[in-house]
Amino acid sequence: MTIIGIDFAKLTLMDALDLAILIEDEARERYEEFAHQMDRTHTPEAAKFFRYMVENETKHGQEITKRRAEHFGSAPATVSPDLLFDVEAPDYDATRAFMSARQAMQAALSSEHKAHRFFEAAAAAVQDDDVRTLFQDLRDEELTHQAMVEAEIAKLGPDDPGTLEDYPDDLAPQ
Amino acid sequence: MTNGTTEYQAKDYKSDLKPIWCPGCGDFAVVQGIYRALAAIGRPPHEIAFVSGIGCSSRIPGYTTAYGFNSVHGRSLPIAQGIKMANPDLLVLAAGGDGDGFSIGGGHLPHMVRRNMDIAYIVMDNQIYGLTKGQLSPTSAKGRTTATSRYGSLEQPVNPLLYMLAYGAGFVAQAAPTDLAGMASIIEQAIRYPGFAFVNIQSPCVTYGEEGQQIKALKAMGVTLDSLGHNSGDRLAAMDLASHYGEKLHLGIFYKNPEPPPTYGDLVKERQELLSKDALPPERILDLFIKK
Repeated sequence: MTIIGIDFAKLTLMDALDLAILIEDEARERYEEFAHQMDRTHTPEAAKFFRYMVENETKHGQEITKRRAEHFGSAPATVSPDLLFDVEAPDYDATRAFMSARQAMQAALSSEHKAHRFFEAAAAAVQDDDVRTLFQDLRDEELTHQAMVEAEIAKLGPDDPGTLEDYPDDLAPQ
Repeated sequence: MTNGTTEYQAKDYKSDLKPIWCPGCGDFAVVQGIYRALAAIGRPPHEIAFVSGIGCSSRIPGYTTAYGFNSVHGRSLPIAQGIKMANPDLLVLAAGGDGDGFSIGGGHLPHMVRRNMDIAYIVMDNQIYGLTKGQLSPTSAKGRTTATSRYGSLEQPVNPLLYMLAYGAGFVAQAAPTDLAGMASIIEQAIRYPGFAFVNIQSPCVTYGEEGQQIKALKAMGVTLDSLGHNSGDRLAAMDLASHYGEKLHLGIFYKNPEPPPTYGDLVKERQELLSKDALPPERILDLFIKK
């Protein structure tokens, strides 16, 4: 995960809120892509879970957007989405064809951990008290999200051991 | 705090067509890197032409809002050159895989370099023919077992970085989807370079690639050229580092000519201006062929 061109020490509350919105938005888009990938590879359970994550990321983004509007109205954002690289969005190599729902959930869980680390580091880097409080709140919310994904994992029955690892395709002689 | 342009964002270069690569494919990140690089450049999509050959990675123009040409196997560079000559104002990109670029299209590379047209060429190098189900490609390692090398390849792989440097390319770089920000920056610099620019991207094939070629392994292997203190203006040092292709994963700009020579387009324009003084008007051109 990378964010370029942002001096966290000088981050204002409005920029911090905009950044948080973009982080949720990036994750939502990634889960949408993953759901589509799973549809294509006929893996409906994983696709269903990724769509669940799309809903969650949308909801989180809307909550922060509401908060931003309350504080700053429609003041134009100065933070560009192009500065963000995989902050809360899972990495592209997190998916596999025919992955199980459990593997999809583990990919999401790993991303929630990644986001927690990011907000923790961001909270430590800022100087503005309000911005620090915001990042600490967001960091704590990531713990809630982790618990939510863990609850989904707990609902699953045991995986077929054959689905837990990737198997290289048997190469057919030409 | 902006990306330098207020007009375009990465999403403006993303088409409605959804990629159909295998889940986990490195090319998903590459196309994201291209969107970011194009947003940083800030040219509108209709001023960009994106040409590819054949293969998984050659689907890439369709996933952008630029004009796209998914051409024939190995022929992205000649077509890209034709487009650039016909409309020099276009930003022209070419892309494809290692099989497309270094095997069937390999003969075009030295000529592309010596002509020095202002085109950025992005190769997604996965060391395999993925689309046709896992045959040996020109960059497959010696000893590699594939569908066409059941007992291990007996052939030495080509070294695309060294090839390009030896041919005299003015911009040679390597990137990987392990560092999306770094990859986007390298693609952007390649596009900005005034002349032919080559970017080799180690983009793993999840279906036919080996474990040691996957993102996790690349993350462990990757070493940035900046961290080695490499001077990208030093061509011989670049060749030395490039010689480790296949053994080490060096990421960054190997070589960027500090004094870029004129492009082919510049020279053609100069020649046209020189000859236009003596040029016949169109209605008198036939006079040249008519005996008086």
